[in-house]
Amino acid sequence: MTGWPLADDAPDTADLAKCVHCGLCVNACPTYAITGLEVESPRGRIHLARAVAEERIPLTEAVQGHWELCLQCRACEAVCPSGVPYGRIMERARAQVDAAPPAKGWQRRLRRFGLRNVIARPWVLAAAMAPVRWFARSPLRRLVQASGVLRLMGPLGRLEAQLGRPGRPFRPQDEAGAGNVALFTGCVMGELFGDVHRASVRVLQRSGASVFAPRGQGCCGALSAHDGDLEQARRLARANIASFEASGAETIVVNSAGCGAAMKEYGELLAEDPEYAERAEALAGRVVDFSEYLAGRDLPPGRLQGRVAYQDACHLAHAQGISAEPRALLGAVEGCELIETEGADMCCGAAGIYSLIEPGMSAELRARKAAQFEKHLPDIIVTANPGCQMQYEAAVREAGIEARVLHLAEALDSG
Amino acid sequence: MTPPELLKAMREVVGGEHVLHKPEDLLVYELDGTIDRSLPEAVVFPATTAEVQGIVRACNALNVPVTPRGAGTGLSGGAVPAKQGVVLATARMRRILDVDPVERTATVEPGVPNIQLSEAAAEHGLFYAPDPSSQKACTIGGNVAENAGGPHCLALGVTTNHVIGMEVVTASGEVEWLGSRGPEPLGYDLRGLFIGSEGTLGIATKVVVRLLPVPETVVTLLAIFDDVESASETVSAVIGAGLVPAALEMMDRVTLQAAEAGLRCGYPPDAGAVLLVELDGIEEVVRGQVTQARAACNEHGATEIRTATEPAERELLWKGRKGAIGALGRIAPNYYLLDGVVPRSRLVETMGDVARIAEGYGFPVANVFHAGDGNLHPCLLFDEREEGATARVLEAGGEIMRVCVDAGGALTGEHGVGYEKHRFMPWLYSEADLENMRRVRGVFGNAGAFNPCKVLPEGTGCGEMAHQKGALAAAGPDAYV
Repeated sequence: MTGWPLADDAPDTADLAKCVHCGLCVNACPTYAITGLEVESPRGRIHLARAVAEERIPLTEAVQGHWELCLQCRACEAVCPSGVPYGRIMERARAQVDAAPPAKGWQRRLRRFGLRNVIARPWVLAAAMAPVRWFARSPLRRLVQASGVLRLMGPLGRLEAQLGRPGRPFRPQDEAGAGNVALFTGCVMGELFGDVHRASVRVLQRSGASVFAPRGQGCCGALSAHDGDLEQARRLARANIASFEASGAETIVVNSAGCGAAMKEYGELLAEDPEYAERAEALAGRVVDFSEYLAGRDLPPGRLQGRVAYQDACHLAHAQGISAEPRALLGAVEGCELIETEGADMCCGAAGIYSLIEPGMSAELRARKAAQFEKHLPDIIVTANPGCQMQYEAAVREAGIEARVLHLAEALDSG
Repeated sequence: MTPPELLKAMREVVGGEHVLHKPEDLLVYELDGTIDRSLPEAVVFPATTAEVQGIVRACNALNVPVTPRGAGTGLSGGAVPAKQGVVLATARMRRILDVDPVERTATVEPGVPNIQLSEAAAEHGLFYAPDPSSQKACTIGGNVAENAGGPHCLALGVTTNHVIGMEVVTASGEVEWLGSRGPEPLGYDLRGLFIGSEGTLGIATKVVVRLLPVPETVVTLLAIFDDVESASETVSAVIGAGLVPAALEMMDRVTLQAAEAGLRCGYPPDAGAVLLVELDGIEEVVRGQVTQARAACNEHGATEIRTATEPAERELLWKGRKGAIGALGRIAPNYYLLDGVVPRSRLVETMGDVARIAEGYGFPVANVFHAGDGNLHPCLLFDEREEGATARVLEAGGEIMRVCVDAGGALTGEHGVGYEKHRFMPWLYSEADLENMRRVRGVFGNAGAFNPCKVLPEGTGCGEMAHQKGALAAAGPDAYV
């Protein structure tokens, strides 16, 4: 007996049973830190899922709301001694929501449409992002900022603050066999962070790798999975698996933490797919984060002058367990004075498309970062995920300080 | 349905947004870190002493039970609202009000997590000694209520040795200061009485704690043994040699395997048992103590001794120990964590009894303990989805507690009596003793409605919480008071 509307992709009973409600996770949770409410904590959300599964309570809009407020940063997973696969539980809980009475129905449909038809389609995305790039670098931007019109534009207006100065796009183009390291280019990453990809290629080359970006790859599917659209996530995963298999690359380097985490879990995502289960597992084993790849390799040190605050990307630190490597790489850069700010490993509130869906919570978390930047006055803020980078652009503006926001690859590329 | 007059009264004190009453919002507040469950009718979040007082008074006027709650990490059902009513959560009282490096004290609100106090103290080269394994989440208010201990309480003592004074709201709704800054209390030590009262006498709203200077040198040894017996004998030998280590902890094979699987802390998963021995102080002294401790381990059959001196290495060893209990969730869907104390000389014998009882019920058992204190934490592994398993595990737990008491020990080392063991109190206390305790409780206020059904056995109305039949059976007829 179960209260889940969809038998497929329901949170696994064994996953839920792993939680022994010890409560050690609550303080790691950003939404608990802000609200002080246990119902907005991992233990609370799991307990709700269990109650729905056991038909103690119906899957109401209010219940969905508590899951929606989750950033899926997985900080709780990193501190959970019982190994509760919280991220997986949450993705599946959200998959159920589609079959339940709609919470924020039109919003959900709109975002699913966007994720399926814009983000996941390279040429649509390219067409959509071209004017964004143009606007970000045009004189019009200052005019718009000064006019106050952004405040009238709701979520889209808020996005302006997150835009840095995007350079040329970087899209996959290479044929198979062009090198031993394949670079994952992603969706928005390739369109708005082409400079980060170019920096990544240069740094990887300096470490002795021969790098190429195989054709046929696309969005990793993380955004869809986090939204509970596991079907779409699986489609995208299959396309990437086929592309990277054909490329022949032994290693796939990912410089976006969210994508890396998702790709390392392809095996789990496609475990029920007879054709792809093994291939997914094999591919996942070849995926490494940019900093993970460089750790322990001989990299001629770069140069960077100033106080550098590294901010962990959640899906790097918590989902992939990588937090020492980026700091060590930065520490080796000449002139780099690495400083630690409080809560460097706490979510910045970007969390994929979260800042559009839950702008209030997102802004509170960003304000915490801004307060830290104001206190410690870093010259450079470094992170390892495009969404976080955008959120820090906004946080820097909010703090009213002069600081550059760089991806780790750009920081290592300087000098 | 929450009674409307109760909601109205709570909202008048703290404002509407700080009162939870919808079923889905209340759900998680039905439990803490252990087995017992009971749903509250409302959860209220006061931000000030005056608001705490307002809530307590309003509940008293309406004759509604009040149950205080910190982070809900407790292990004896202390924060579970046994008779429903209102849960008073301290989650909005999270400020560190003052850290005074000259006086070496700090003043904090009750909802401050233990770890945050330690971090604030560290900026001044100081630390707060009690370090429960849940310290990353548990609150100082909860620590005061439970008189919390932790691995490092062997040499330094538990919460009561580190709290100088408190502002409290009593169960009757009065605001009082307990304790003084002097070395000895003037008059009765009400501070000492309040600490460890498990939230039955009132709620601490400000806590003044003592901070200690961080020791110059700290060395942690991980001694590996083939079996629990040799490790236990080593414990007696270390203490017998006149050493008082900062911590002396034991883990058995089942625990080691779970901790290593879950936390990758470098434990030997094939060992029968390990001891963690931490020595701290002035470098020269520590060096001598390390030699002594190593000798004691070697004499009693240690197969390997690892030494960690760097903070990162030591942290890794402790990460495994502090996460060990939760890591058991990897090898079983549920565990029942017990907390008993026996004289150190009876450790080995009691361990045998624990194993025998667990086996009789068919539950695997994992053992983690503060060996230096004789404080056992056997964990019975079970699956609550199996028909009757929870009742049987509670029954087994009752038997184990009985064995501890019969060995000259006690019902709790640090987790508290709470709801879990209040019925076992007659094993240790006469009816006259219990009646005296009830009278003390009555002095602070409404004993029947302020965190009811905790610590002391009560006549009626406490039997409705789930799963307790088994425990009652194990407790025997003398448990009904």
